[in-house]
Amino acid sequence: MTVAAGRVIDLHLHLLDRQVVDPDGRMVCKVDDLELELDERGRPYVTAILLGPRALGPRLGGRLGRWVAAIGERLAERDRPVSRIDFSLVTDIGSAIAVSRPRGRLDVIPLEDWVEEHVIARIPGSRHESE
Amino acid sequence: MRASDLLGREVLDRDGIRLGVVTDLRCVLDGPLRGGLCAPRVEALLVSRHRTGSLLGYDRNEQQGPWLLRVLVRLLHRRLTVVPWTVVETSQAGPLARPLALRVAAADLPAAEGRRTPG
Repeated sequence: MTVAAGRVIDLHLHLLDRQVVDPDGRMVCKVDDLELELDERGRPYVTAILLGPRALGPRLGGRLGRWVAAIGERLAERDRPVSRIDFSLVTDIGSAIAVSRPRGRLDVIPLEDWVEEHVIARIPGSRHESE
Repeated sequence: MRASDLLGREVLDRDGIRLGVVTDLRCVLDGPLRGGLCAPRVEALLVSRHRTGSLLGYDRNEQQGPWLLRVLVRLLHRRLTVVPWTVVETSQAGPLARPLALRVAAADLPAAEGRRTPG
């Protein structure tokens, strides 16, 4: 489903938990929650995709949600806000959410980026042959 | 505010009668232009007496199968109510556990013609 202006979507059904992909088709993250702001008439609209355990935890709620959020808090850099992708970077809403910026320049999953650069990349055969 | 602040919240009408819980947020892509897309703007709350099975979407789109599951979920959500955002008391829309209150009585709400989700 490609979404044009004026189309109607259901946020939970069409956005939450969907895969976010970058222009190269690489998987970035899942949509864990959505940031909303009120317009001048008091109507909420989506401003950003929120991701990571600190976004997912409160949404899950209960004991499990608190654990997920606490683990995310422990792993996060101090004073680093919840990771977000501004909605201005979204180019399509379909079976996956497409964004216009490459995964490496989104800076939303620093732990995974660090592991990929310092650990995975040093494993022989970890890169695609054509790269 | 986050989407999860609204999802799962109980909804009471003007007289304090419980309508159900918010199972989804129906949006129109006519919000402020952000990049290549207009931001999704919340047009209405989908309110059901049950949460179970709502995320499957079978309660909204008739074209989805399998038919038995679709029939069961639609039976469970047969009282799906589409609540326009304009009748929600927005002062209570913060990240609180309190129920959302409406400015109108349940009987004044439009019929659930919005059951179908645009594909």
